[in-house]
Amino acid sequence: MFDLDASTLLVLVPALPLVGAILTVALGRLLGPKAHWPAVVSIAAAAGVAITLLVGLGREVLVGNHGESGSAAPVAFEQIQTLWQWANVPDAYVPPADSLAIDLGDDLVAKAAGRPASLPFSIGIDLRLDPLTAVMLAVITCVGLLVAIYSIGYMHDDPGYPRFFALVAAFVFSMAMLVAASNFLLVYVFWEAVGACSYLLIGFWFRKPSAAAAAKKAFLVNRVGDFGLAVAVFLLWMTYGTLNFHDSAASAVPGILGMERLSDPTGYVAGAVGTAICLLLLLAACGKSAQLPLHVWLPDAMEGPTPASALIHAATMVTAGVYLVARCAPLYMACPEALVTVSIVGATTALVAALIGTVQNDLKRVLAYSTISQLGYMFASLGTGILLGFTAGIFHLVTHAFFKALLFLGAGSVMHAMGGVIDMRRFGGLRRVMPITAATFLIGSLALAGVAPFAGFFSKDEILAALHSRGWPDAHAEHHGEASHDAHAILEVPSRPPFRLASDRRTAATAGGIGHDGSMAATYRTLYWMSLFTAFLTAFYTFRAVFMTFTGPTRVPEEAGHHAHESPPIMTGPLVVLAVAATVSGWLLFSTHSLADFLAATPSLACPAVAATATPHAFHLDLAMQGTLAAALGIVLAALGYLGRRSDGPLMDRFLGPLGSLFANRFYVDEIYAAIIVRPLEILAMLCAAFDRSIVDGLVNLVAAIPLAVGAAVRRFQSGLMQRYAVAGVLGTLVIVLALAWSLRA
Amino acid sequence: MTPAPLVLDGLIVGAMLFAIGLVGILARRNLIVMFLSAELMLQGVSVSLVAWSRHHGDWGGHILVIFVLTVAACEAAIALVFVLQAFARTGRLDAAAWQSLRESNLPRVVDRELPPGDAVDMKFPTLTPAGVEPAIDEAAHLQREHV
Repeated sequence: MFDLDASTLLVLVPALPLVGAILTVALGRLLGPKAHWPAVVSIAAAAGVAITLLVGLGREVLVGNHGESGSAAPVAFEQIQTLWQWANVPDAYVPPADSLAIDLGDDLVAKAAGRPASLPFSIGIDLRLDPLTAVMLAVITCVGLLVAIYSIGYMHDDPGYPRFFALVAAFVFSMAMLVAASNFLLVYVFWEAVGACSYLLIGFWFRKPSAAAAAKKAFLVNRVGDFGLAVAVFLLWMTYGTLNFHDSAASAVPGILGMERLSDPTGYVAGAVGTAICLLLLLAACGKSAQLPLHVWLPDAMEGPTPASALIHAATMVTAGVYLVARCAPLYMACPEALVTVSIVGATTALVAALIGTVQNDLKRVLAYSTISQLGYMFASLGTGILLGFTAGIFHLVTHAFFKALLFLGAGSVMHAMGGVIDMRRFGGLRRVMPITAATFLIGSLALAGVAPFAGFFSKDEILAALHSRGWPDAHAEHHGEASHDAHAILEVPSRPPFRLASDRRTAATAGGIGHDGSMAATYRTLYWMSLFTAFLTAFYTFRAVFMTFTGPTRVPEEAGHHAHESPPIMTGPLVVLAVAATVSGWLLFSTHSLADFLAATPSLACPAVAATATPHAFHLDLAMQGTLAAALGIVLAALGYLGRRSDGPLMDRFLGPLGSLFANRFYVDEIYAAIIVRPLEILAMLCAAFDRSIVDGLVNLVAAIPLAVGAAVRRFQSGLMQRYAVAGVLGTLVIVLALAWSLRA
Repeated sequence: MTPAPLVLDGLIVGAMLFAIGLVGILARRNLIVMFLSAELMLQGVSVSLVAWSRHHGDWGGHILVIFVLTVAACEAAIALVFVLQAFARTGRLDAAAWQSLRESNLPRVVDRELPPGDAVDMKFPTLTPAGVEPAIDEAAHLQREHV
């Protein structure tokens, strides 16, 4: 057992980057060109700790389990470390008296006995360790480390050098806390913190108007999602009477994602309230993960430094929404409508973003839309509501973090060599100029396109398999038949009378047959075909970018000057490491199935509702063929249009016709938002400004004008002439005398 | 003899003196005449004080008048210094020459300009220097334009 030091290690993962950020802020100017040291060293240490945790926990969950019981079902594992108590308000919530009246079951007596008179609002700084957190922590710190090392080369002459590394370290801290937090309030806090880091890094070159505008846009669009998260947290508190994920001895009610509630088939609220909570959480996820209709900020966020784009807007922060939905899987399992909404949003986003990506000419923007599209895949996968879907979503998250970070850093390398030019029409044939970048970029592209041995192929295949099994439940029925009974996770349930405030509930048990029945099969069938088409588009736009950038005659824009060369080793090193990860991680994790088994031990995914949908590990050759065929078609089409010399001429663009301009204008979403939100608000602001200037300022100026006017009238008497003053004195005396006489009359 | 007419006479004389002085102050521009007019107003008040004092058979009014006279004498000396200094600055006794305290954007009040002749060619006696005599360039000293 390694539980003694695990909690210390868990605290170290976010604590080290925090120390690094503080040191960089404090010593940044002192260190000058060495300002990267605190951040890089601290993130490296955090990465080491995170990998130790992952390996230790993996051995604990996978090997230990097999040794004990001999069954393939993992035991749910979680470990909570409470650092200190943040807030503790006694009697904060008094449950309404009739909240249990509706639920007149035979266990009414037990419920009444266990129902406390009031609940404390108690929030601790709770960190949790479970497989999902461990995987996320490892991804965040490893990609963060590679990006930080890369940035040493990329940012070397920037005047904001220390600021950049301080922000990167602060981001790694916030993101690590976000995935390690064990209550919804902390999640909200660090949800905002990563948003703030994202804002600061998008607007890193704040003197550039477009960067400042992009940062503002990202922040404002994210506010919409954050609003959803805030309301969801309020609703969770009102519904469950706690915000903790875990069961805690201090709390009278079981945690929302605690073992006790997870093992209770009626533990989760369904119906209107449950669906509202799930949809609000989805709104939050849409904001952070740039899903329709809140995807507009991510392409603009490419104004930030490319390493920040790679770290925050491709690999880690944008996956926070995926993490949140996966974490709240049991909540979604109780609300099938919300689940299918997640899938629909994801698949639609994937398709739309891929369509837009096919006509972008800015290399970074192609990758940005690709990120949106791949995140859409993850949501589509989560929305299937089966264990395979959840693990496939996280699997794709991991592989995507590697290959998309690789692609972004490769694009940054190109941008670095081209003197800041990122328009693919202005350069070409760069494989001769920068061979390492070209090779690693090609590997990343193969992974993104889903070509067989590379990482993206396996994760995408699992996603398609998950969608397929929901769309054609009969074809997969034999798997379920053998799996559904022995694949239950083992949950240790403490004996405590359950307490629920749910008045409106359809239990997860009745909805729990979600993987078995054919409900919404037609919807999922559509989503499957959409995803398959998206796979084709993904391969097309990826290789369009590869061909336009790296093949054909060598062309270099004049901004690059004479130093169009391969990037320094400090930048190509991370590229090579990521390329290796993008090559082997998929095969490694898929063939051993270790990631899926490991994730299945996450409490949220080990609850009976999810675990009941487990399917045996299988490689679906037919689905893999379909996916590969789609990818091959895309690559061939891209080669037809853009390979070699054709990369210089817009051969392909004229085939699209009006559709091309629709895609190029991003489906006019920005214009629609401008028309229905931005313009009316601007008009309202103009009206308010006019009101302020004319009415409010007018009143103030009027008051100020009165003494001015009186002064102007009286000023004429200030002649400096003695006699006039004497007259004024005499008149004044006369007035006083007359007034005196008047008052003394009779 | 009733005391009332006597008081009335005194008050009338005092009021007339006061009114004459007031008109003099308001109407004349010569600093010395204005100063004299102010003294006249003071005396008008003194006369009415004496009248009331006699009417009431109270010496307080008389005593007050003596004080007024004393103060007026001191005040006359001081006022004369001011007038002389003013004259030394501008070379004229015209009260309208002193308008610089007016509002900056108002025009200078000119009802009637004095002929320029009476301001020029004023020579004043010089005082005998006291103490150790400083080295003085005699020629320049004798031909200097102002004190």
